[in-house]
Amino acid sequence: MLISSPQDKASRDKATQDRAAPDSGLVPPAIEMVDVELSLGEGASRVHILRGVSLTVGRGEAIGLVGPSGSGKSTLLMTAAGLERADSGAVRIAGEDITRLSEDRLAEFRGRRIGIVFQAFHLIPTMTALENVAVPLELAGEADAFTRASEELKAVGLGARLDHYPGQLSGGEQQRVAIARALAPHPAILVADEPTGNLDEETGEDIIRLLFTLKRDRGTTLLLVTHDLELAERCDRIVRLKNGHIVEERAARAVA
Amino acid sequence: MRPSRFLGRLRLVLRLVAREIPHSLGQFSILIACIAIGVGSIVAVISLSRSLNEGLGREGRVILGADIAYTLVQREASAAELDILRREGKVAQLSRSRGMARAENPDGTLKDSALVEIKAVDEAYPLAGALALTGASGPEKRPPATLLSDGPDGLPGILADPVLTGRLGLKIGDKLKIGDQTFRIAALIENEPDKLSGGLGFGPRVTMSRAALDRTGLVQPGSLTRFVYRLDLGPGANDAAIRASMATIAKALPDAGWQSASRLRASPQLTRQVDRFTQFLTLVGLTALLIGGVGVANAARAFADRQIMRIATLKSLGATRNFVFWSALAQVLAFALIGTLIGLVIGAALPYAAILAFGHLLPYPLVPGVYGSELMLGLAYGLVAALTFSVLPLARGKAVAASTLFRDAFGSERFRPGAADLLLLALSLAAFAALAVVFASDRWIATLYLGTAIVAIAALRLVAMGVIALARALPRFSSPILRLAIANLHRRGNLTPSVMLSLGLGLTLLVTLTLIDLNLSRQFRSALPGVAPTFFFIDIPSREIGRFETFLKEAAPGAKVEDVPQLRGRIIEVNGIPAAKVSASERVAWALEGDRGITYSARLPEGSAIAQGEWWPENYRGTPLVSFARDVAEGLGLKVGDKIVVNVLGRRITATIANLREVRWQRLGINFVMVFSPNTFAGAPHSFLATLALPPQTGRTDEIALARKVAAAFPAISSVRVRDALDAVEGIVSQLALAIRASSAIALISSILVLAGALAATARTRQHESVILKTLGATRRTLLRALLVEYAALGGIAVVFGLICGAIGARFVISQIMNLDFSVPWLTVVSIAFSAFVATIILGLIGTWHLLGQKPAPYLRHA
Repeated sequence: MLISSPQDKASRDKATQDRAAPDSGLVPPAIEMVDVELSLGEGASRVHILRGVSLTVGRGEAIGLVGPSGSGKSTLLMTAAGLERADSGAVRIAGEDITRLSEDRLAEFRGRRIGIVFQAFHLIPTMTALENVAVPLELAGEADAFTRASEELKAVGLGARLDHYPGQLSGGEQQRVAIARALAPHPAILVADEPTGNLDEETGEDIIRLLFTLKRDRGTTLLLVTHDLELAERCDRIVRLKNGHIVEERAARAVA
Repeated sequence: MRPSRFLGRLRLVLRLVAREIPHSLGQFSILIACIAIGVGSIVAVISLSRSLNEGLGREGRVILGADIAYTLVQREASAAELDILRREGKVAQLSRSRGMARAENPDGTLKDSALVEIKAVDEAYPLAGALALTGASGPEKRPPATLLSDGPDGLPGILADPVLTGRLGLKIGDKLKIGDQTFRIAALIENEPDKLSGGLGFGPRVTMSRAALDRTGLVQPGSLTRFVYRLDLGPGANDAAIRASMATIAKALPDAGWQSASRLRASPQLTRQVDRFTQFLTLVGLTALLIGGVGVANAARAFADRQIMRIATLKSLGATRNFVFWSALAQVLAFALIGTLIGLVIGAALPYAAILAFGHLLPYPLVPGVYGSELMLGLAYGLVAALTFSVLPLARGKAVAASTLFRDAFGSERFRPGAADLLLLALSLAAFAALAVVFASDRWIATLYLGTAIVAIAALRLVAMGVIALARALPRFSSPILRLAIANLHRRGNLTPSVMLSLGLGLTLLVTLTLIDLNLSRQFRSALPGVAPTFFFIDIPSREIGRFETFLKEAAPGAKVEDVPQLRGRIIEVNGIPAAKVSASERVAWALEGDRGITYSARLPEGSAIAQGEWWPENYRGTPLVSFARDVAEGLGLKVGDKIVVNVLGRRITATIANLREVRWQRLGINFVMVFSPNTFAGAPHSFLATLALPPQTGRTDEIALARKVAAAFPAISSVRVRDALDAVEGIVSQLALAIRASSAIALISSILVLAGALAATARTRQHESVILKTLGATRRTLLRALLVEYAALGGIAVVFGLICGAIGARFVISQIMNLDFSVPWLTVVSIAFSAFVATIILGLIGTWHLLGQKPAPYLRHA
């Protein structure tokens, strides 16, 4: 058995969300982007990447973001995760406008509410697997950070690898650590940027299965950037970007 | 074909370096600054010292007062000796003595008195240079001989230092008594050309004619008068002519027992002081360079880390390990060269700046210049230090595998330096040590310093390893900041060793110098009453000693009076070797130069203890025996049973060393390097030296009143108030202290730079980490606080280390080298060390603030 996520935690998260908005008719969406514009770079090399993107993602919904390279998928993801700041427009996460938060408030908000999984894993190379997973919990001031981190690692099947450094783990193992780390603080939203891009097909499949199982068990909202259409179809909805515009939004043909 | 292949490789390395230098200048700014400060301070010190010595050389004739000078103590040259001197050139005679100058009230009672240094001159004075005098109305232009001759009132004229007339409340035209003679003040001395040739005096100068000195009655058989014979070889006498004349005179008069000096080496004492000070400051400069070396190592390591991908790429394209290493080394050395050149410019400019700032304070003109040999030495220091400190960090690059390109395996290669790396390191270390020792004026001190530095560096590495082990063993703290900070101390890529090294060395030097400074000042400010005497009385004629003692006992009933016979003598042979050829250690070379006070005693002097050998029986009648101070004897290579020849009053006396004594010099009691058995000088005329210690609670007014009583009753006896003498010395010490403080500042600036560099390097190597932490919710404040805790922990340990090692180092210098009492004013030192550490940390952290403020997205995108 690969996955043993405690069900009670998922229900606790659900309860938290409900308390935030007692009247279910007024519950704000998990992610709400309105007319977001974003350019990157300086001077002549400045590129207009997001051109008036509006997107609403419901709680617990899984969105597959697809589109050609340079279409703005990753930037959209980073903007939703508060890693890039929109030039104009609004980005609301569970009703809170994050475009107005300072750099440091944004970091704290991210630590509590958003889990991020990268294509290149981005583990801290000088920390063990356990330490890597414990970091967001420690930063949030959790007293039992290491107990929980070790539970999370067991949940992704790495109970025997707690004290290994990233350099001593395979790619698939590193990505599991990254997933455990992203989910450890029980974020409402999980964003994943090509999480299988650096992995072989079989390992990638394992990771995706893990990701979706955990997402389902915890009721997490998922924003997934991928080139892999088949993978995107496993989400609830597919959003296609081209040249910074959303060109298509449709329900996925449930595969999984 | 091989050489051309090598040249081709070299060209390629240099081409790559040239291509990358413009891009990496910013990353090497700390390395450049570290090298520039280290090299700059060393070159500044040696250039300044060279300028001082060049000045001494160029102004030698004026400083000495002639081309050659012969000095006799307690006896005048005979007619035969004068004849031989006159055959070589024009002779001018001069005598130096000490006495009490007295100002009287109109009713003939004593108004005030002061110790004066007397110079009695003939018509030829000054032979070299010009005497600047002030008359009643503006500069006095009449020749000294006219001013010093007897006036219409029958009183001889006298030239006085304005300090004396100020102290006694006199002006030009007033009367002044010295010994049995009354003088009229003819002019005030603004500047004497030959003031350095007499050494340090305890009182202000008066200049009189030789005839007038004889009338004072101060010159008696056995009194401490020096007779100087200055020889002018005439215009155009070159160095060879001077050497030839000296050789002729030495051959004709081998046993004159005089001290000779020439304009070629006008002031051996001053030269030695310049050398000693240069040595001390060079060691400080070396420390700055060593601390800077830690900065070089940090920069080289950060460079190697940043280069991992480049190295892996180069390797995948066919570069060998050595090619990678040498191209990295060439780049580091290129930047070290830039730093060295900046240091050379700073160092060479310092003597010029010194003249602008302090030129008017110096007793003789400096000769600043761009001295090639000093600059070459600085260049060698800069490059060798850079090589020494960058070999191992750069050798790490060799371990980077081309496969690094294909995985995220930072630091997973275990690095072990190869034999070639270690050989290169050993060679450059040897070169560094050779530079430090070979060019030192005191090689023993330089070797000792190097040994200490190596021990300190090794100790700091051990401490760093201990910190890492301790941090690893600590239980997990509940505060995430604490946990992050402690993890930073021990996990891979930690900068614990480099921070420990730079801060530890910097603080150790700061504490050492501060303690030396504090202890030196304390010696002259406190702790003396009750231990040291209040007065020294010199030149007490032997026929007067009984009466004088009785007088003192009546005038100061509670005082402790000690007296000893005093003669002057010069060591002329040691175990059959002429004194000039004896290889003495630098610290005791003074014992062979010029005449020393000597005494005789039937019993072991108070405050001394026999270290070796035996004291002679009280009624000893055999061949002359001598007791030597242990430290001086060891410096001269003497042991019990050795024979020395001393010249006393023109007689050669051979004495056997009977014992070595342990002497505590700092008590300022009566102590002599050489104490002879009483029968040695039977019948020789001599004077006495007495000390008087008043009870500790005696006030200044009582001291001065006693001095006046003595001056009124015994006009021929000179009294030196110890407090006044110490004040004079303290003036010099406070100038030294300024130099000591300036050099502490240089060392501290180096530490701050290194620490700032280490912090910047940390922030850079941990940029990846801090970006991820921010992604996971860390604020800039959290990251900064963790850094602060980490460095506070390291700094706190470095402060403790610096305090302990600094105290040990200062104790060694003060009690072993300077032979003084040592104490540690903990509160002062701890607060100085702590403030320095806080300032260092704050300055370092200011530099990292913007690095912590980096936004994560661009980094995550490109990584």
